[in-house]
Amino acid sequence: MERRGFIKNTGLLAGGIMVQNKVVQAFSINKQILNVGVIGCGDRGKGLISVMDGLSDFYNVIAICDVLDFRIKETIAKNKREFILYTDYRKLLENNKIDAVIISVTLSDHFEIAKAALLAGKHIYLEKTMTYNIPQALELSNLKLKHPHQILQIGHQYRYVPLYFKVKDMIEKGYLGKVTQIDCRWDRNSTWRRPITDKSLEKAVNWRMYKEYSGGLVAELLSHQIDFINWAFDTHPDEILATGGIDYYKDGRETYDNVQVMLRYNKEGIVGNFGSTLANAHDGYLFKIKGTKGMVSLLMNEGIYYPEKKQEKELKTIDGVTGATKIEWNKEGGIKIDADNSKDGTWYALKDFYDCIIYKKEPTSNIKTGSNTAFCVHLANQSMYNHKIEYWKDYF
Amino acid sequence: MIKFLNIDSKKLSIILSLVVLLLIFFSFKTEKDFQRFEIEGNAQGTTYKIIYYAKDAKILKSQVDCILLEIDSSMSIYKEYSLINKFNNNAKGVLMDTHFKKVIEKSTVIAKKTNGDFDITVYPLINLWGFGLQKDKFLPDSMMIKSTLLNVGFKYLQIKSDSLIKKNPQVKIDLNGIAQGYSVDLIASFLQKNKVNNFVVELGGELRINGKKENNKKFMIGIEGVKDQDFLPITKYIEIEKGAVTTSGNYRKFYKSEGKIISHLINPHTGYSVNNELISVTVYAKNAITADGFDNAFMVMGLKKALKFIEQNKSIQAYFIFKDKKGNIKDTCSLGFPNIKSIKN
Repeated sequence: MERRGFIKNTGLLAGGIMVQNKVVQAFSINKQILNVGVIGCGDRGKGLISVMDGLSDFYNVIAICDVLDFRIKETIAKNKREFILYTDYRKLLENNKIDAVIISVTLSDHFEIAKAALLAGKHIYLEKTMTYNIPQALELSNLKLKHPHQILQIGHQYRYVPLYFKVKDMIEKGYLGKVTQIDCRWDRNSTWRRPITDKSLEKAVNWRMYKEYSGGLVAELLSHQIDFINWAFDTHPDEILATGGIDYYKDGRETYDNVQVMLRYNKEGIVGNFGSTLANAHDGYLFKIKGTKGMVSLLMNEGIYYPEKKQEKELKTIDGVTGATKIEWNKEGGIKIDADNSKDGTWYALKDFYDCIIYKKEPTSNIKTGSNTAFCVHLANQSMYNHKIEYWKDYF
Repeated sequence: MIKFLNIDSKKLSIILSLVVLLLIFFSFKTEKDFQRFEIEGNAQGTTYKIIYYAKDAKILKSQVDCILLEIDSSMSIYKEYSLINKFNNNAKGVLMDTHFKKVIEKSTVIAKKTNGDFDITVYPLINLWGFGLQKDKFLPDSMMIKSTLLNVGFKYLQIKSDSLIKKNPQVKIDLNGIAQGYSVDLIASFLQKNKVNNFVVELGGELRINGKKENNKKFMIGIEGVKDQDFLPITKYIEIEKGAVTTSGNYRKFYKSEGKIISHLINPHTGYSVNNELISVTVYAKNAITADGFDNAFMVMGLKKALKFIEQNKSIQAYFIFKDKKGNIKDTCSLGFPNIKSIKN
């Protein structure tokens, strides 16, 4: 906090100046508002700005940056207010009023911008996947070591909802017994391609279609679930086998529209199956963690615990419950996992980002977990594109 | 003995064999007589569940629903045509039906015993704070509370034969804090009238227990904890053969306004939302109407006063979850409360 340009509140409070603006109101409850610059104003960047505007006691997005003019215009129109505008992120990083930056750009640009932001002394919320490849993840990790006082949080926001913390807790407490299998899907029945009016913008807008910029479905979707498993079990896979192809959208794209990744976790004795297709939406988001005592089935914000038969018998020995609620079994023999789901993951992630900065805490989605997931994604894509099994390296 | 009865050994072996056969027959019969049945349904804005043991399905869901509907017609403020609404909407009073009378009489007893910590005339205050039929959640000011308090007090109610008379035309009552307990008792006595003596009746978390379950085991009653890290709401239970268990707490029905937590439990003396160290109280008593009436009173009393009250009224026992001065969640119970056990996971 004291290190850099946070707004100082002491003078104003001591002087008792009553100025009717947001900043001073916040001081009255002794909160410090962080000035934020958002680099990358695609759908994700705009979404993050909306959530931060809802957290106005904590954040004030003062600057935005995008290389595409229409994105800047869209962001201004959506938020109906003014920002300091940049097309070059380096200029944004030079702005001393900015305490923290959001980096929500093309995956291939994550590393370069995150590195520059670290060097510029900013706190960073870096969208997932942390980096495009393994060497970048290693280099960024080394650089972060030299900047221990800056917060670098990786945007694996789904696991920030209380439900996912609760599931991690359930795993640790042994509710699931010995976990051996993980089944994940993230399916859609849509092209993933954004419409463009100007053909020259194809790669800038539809960068997810091109290997040069994107890690495809594994980086954009499956990385969330892969990251959760790494974090929840405090582990990483040892072997990675992946396959896939462009099986439906033969429209010139390079990244696959149908992928399957198999991860082998030796220490834990777990096999993880992570799949995604753009050609069937029935399963949508599916996340099942299967153990000897029970299985947890997760959606984004809802979880059901299905005890195995023996466990179920034990749980049903209770004949009645006094209080406002009781164990509610659904038709398939599951119990809803009770957790606050009033907000989405991004809200919790950004709230925690603030707390990490103010209270100097390490984010739960940090450079270490972010690197592990980036390694997994890169290895999965290598395996997929080169048709061979990839192995975890000691130097990761 | 054998000589005395003049039975030879051959006959004896036949008799013994018959006895054994009869024993086997009866033991089978007993098992068959002791089947578990469950009835579940919705009533009084919540759910109910009845577990009972009998030879065959003696109790029908329709019978239970019929009893509960009768109570609703009498005491639900959510039914426009109910007797309670008739009472609340006129200035004089009403002629009570059997259910209404029993609940009013019991409410008066508990009100007197607790010096008004339990008081059914608290209804205007409940409405004022937005927990009644009027859902506007605004914070009433002290003047509004003061003037509403003028119409609160069980002294404004008079029971004259089968009539309930208003001594203050503005007085209004809410039986939510006790009618569920009464309903549970009513279903329990319906079961007993039908010679069902091993059962658990639960309605909205209020329970009445009698007898045992299979293998001579006691019924296990879970006590809901305050939301903790465990995904299961239940980590503690008690075993009971006879009696009732109810819980009152301010950890579910509340809202936040201007940074304050406003719970649905209103102190009838002050007119303000109950704001002491208690998070919930679970009461064990001989019947559910008693337990249900006292759980609210204990919430109003606070831990110290409630424990003192129990010391002098040992037929009622309680388990308390509370926040200590540092904000840590703790629990304690009165000496005669059933042994609390933990569910092993």
